[in-house]
Amino acid sequence: MLRRVKGLICQGPKLDPGCFLQARAWLSAAANQGAQIPEERLRTIFRTHESNPANHSEQHEGQHYSIPLQEVKVVFPHGLPRRFQAQMKTFNEACLMVRRPALELLGYLKSTNFAHPAVRYIIYGEKGTGKTMTLCHAVHYCAKQDWLVLHIPDAHLWVKNRTELLPSSYHNERFDQPLEASTWLKNFKVSNERFLKEIKTQRTYVWSKRESTEMGSPLGEVVEQGVTRVKNASDAVGVVLKELKTQCPLGSFRLLVAVDGVNALWGRSTLRKKDKSAISPEELTLVHNLRKMVMNDWNGGAIVTTLSQTGSLFKPRSAYLPHELLGKEGFDTLDPFVPIQVPNYSQREFESCYQYYLDRKWLQHEKVGTEEGREELLFLSNSNPWQLERISASL
Amino acid sequence: MAVAVRRVLRASRSWRAALGGQERWRAETLRLICTTTAVQKRNVPASGPEKYTEAFIKKQIEEFNLGKRHLANMMGEDPETFTQEDIDKAIAYLFPSGLFEKRARPVMKHPNDIFPKQRAMQWGEDHRPFHFLFYTGKQSFYSLMHEIYGKMLDIQKYQDQLKAQDLDEKKQINLIGSRWLIKEELEEMLVEKLSDHDYSLCIRLLERLVTLPCCGIEEEYVLKFRKELDTQLKKVVIEPLQYDDQGVAFSTGEGKRKTSRATVIVYDNGNGKITVNGIDYLHYFPVIQDREQLMFPFQFLGRLGKHNMVCTVLGGGSSSQAGAIRLASARALCSFVTENEAEFMRQAGLLTYDPRNKERKKPGQEGARRKFTWKKR
Repeated sequence: MLRRVKGLICQGPKLDPGCFLQARAWLSAAANQGAQIPEERLRTIFRTHESNPANHSEQHEGQHYSIPLQEVKVVFPHGLPRRFQAQMKTFNEACLMVRRPALELLGYLKSTNFAHPAVRYIIYGEKGTGKTMTLCHAVHYCAKQDWLVLHIPDAHLWVKNRTELLPSSYHNERFDQPLEASTWLKNFKVSNERFLKEIKTQRTYVWSKRESTEMGSPLGEVVEQGVTRVKNASDAVGVVLKELKTQCPLGSFRLLVAVDGVNALWGRSTLRKKDKSAISPEELTLVHNLRKMVMNDWNGGAIVTTLSQTGSLFKPRSAYLPHELLGKEGFDTLDPFVPIQVPNYSQREFESCYQYYLDRKWLQHEKVGTEEGREELLFLSNSNPWQLERISASL
Repeated sequence: MAVAVRRVLRASRSWRAALGGQERWRAETLRLICTTTAVQKRNVPASGPEKYTEAFIKKQIEEFNLGKRHLANMMGEDPETFTQEDIDKAIAYLFPSGLFEKRARPVMKHPNDIFPKQRAMQWGEDHRPFHFLFYTGKQSFYSLMHEIYGKMLDIQKYQDQLKAQDLDEKKQINLIGSRWLIKEELEEMLVEKLSDHDYSLCIRLLERLVTLPCCGIEEEYVLKFRKELDTQLKKVVIEPLQYDDQGVAFSTGEGKRKTSRATVIVYDNGNGKITVNGIDYLHYFPVIQDREQLMFPFQFLGRLGKHNMVCTVLGGGSSSQAGAIRLASARALCSFVTENEAEFMRQAGLLTYDPRNKERKKPGQEGARRKFTWKKR
């Protein structure tokens, strides 16, 4: 089928590839200017060898840095998006792109004053622009800096999916979610082993007639209790959160609370009681405790959250601003916060992502390496990372 | 006037009864109703196609001309300069018809267009045929072949003459932009049935004639057998570019598809941003197929990131809206682009309105094509 006019009209002398590459190459400040750049050097411009997020700066903007897979297992037992995990498995490496919103956030985190109350950062943006990945970048940084990371991968999962709902033992009107709580505790254990041994409880907790946790025992025991006795899992979560919140201001460790999809805490839920009346999120133990965590009445750390429309319930697809997704109640609770907007890819970032996929041989179509193929991808995805990823997956 | 019109509408029966025709017609129909089947003839052999005598055709032509003048009078136009187009418009105005089939609507045309051409009598009073090839059965065809061959011999004689004079001229006929008449058209010209074999023989002979170097002498004879192919883009008017306040060139276009109507403004010096009804095209068309439709005109011309577009579209579903915007943007891009490229666009099908519509549901069927479940008993 006739796709291009240029196929019909014979063009003048074709531009040679060297000319193209020069036209498109951007030079990092360190690279020499004016000289012809060899092919291998150009290809690595979309990659950087700097794998410690603490050293990322504006010169690394647009470049991918890889996280060793062992670290990924420890730092992100449950944090990365599903598609990214599949991509990791295919490419055998985890490569994150350094982008401006992440650099901004890292800058703020580096300059946090731990004496002041925890600052709340809300990462927002349109669908598929990379909010979760920015959050993961921040989590990686904090893990490298030896903070205690409290990462809730998707708060929406706690208000959806009718599974077991037990009436709470601790509080009459609330409901427990044993499955979700126990999975979260398992993952939490993996990422923060060291701290769980060091932090001691400040109170005795009685779980049942025969089981209790004494004062001064390591937090790891509480987590174990929650994992083994699934019935008490949600309460275990509550205990963990409370302990961390009270002990963090004492200064022995830094705490990062990373919540993805924080608008779930103040939205509606699809869970129903036995008499089919709707449950509001406050009546869930997990949500109740998490809400307390996200308040800024403690110091010694930071709270980084993401808004997400994708998993949200009863919200229109076009909503992405904080006041639309959080609602009045959520907005008032989270106010004041630092908003960080994540836009679509810029020219440079798109180019970098495209080169990365080409390098990994992910784009298999014959015409994809040409200028026309690149323009087509740019148009069809409109520089939206999620769209670009979906389109390239089928090429 | 009513009489003339009725004649037009029922042209297949020759109407001698112009005098008091109306009552007589009514009387005849009344008579027909009262008769029984026994009186009607059976085993009447089917007559061939109606034969029209020359006198009849002449009469029809006179009546047509008279009717034309009456019509011009009725419409208040000048009878002398009343063309066929005016006649068509007047008839469409006086007899508005909602029929879909254009050929079923009322028509008033010259009798030569309506009555098929027929052969005059081939033999005289002494029953001897006029044409010398009558007894071959295909007299016009054979006489045509003889004529063409005669022309070929004339050309060869002319060539020999030129050679004798040592002149070397070559006159070729220009055959570009035209085609040979098809079999149906040739049959119409000769007023005689042809077989496929005969037709191919005729065309081969003509081709052979055209290959001779000096066939230019018989050019007008050969062109009788050629038909012009008209390029359709000549009918398309290309709007000039308009310029807005900042001096940026822009152009508008409109497009339709199924039930959607789209208006599009394409701006020059852009970065590839497209807004549909105020919403970014990525959000308005979540399906890739629709975005590919939007992309097609720009990609075809190689101008993907160079224009900005603002569209408004109403009606229809997502695919049909995408198709409407595609047509509108292709039309708008015609102003930015050379004529050659516009011709390429037309050949690629970017500038053609897609006439497909939802097919009507028929009675006795569940949908347009789907029949009800067939039960054996």
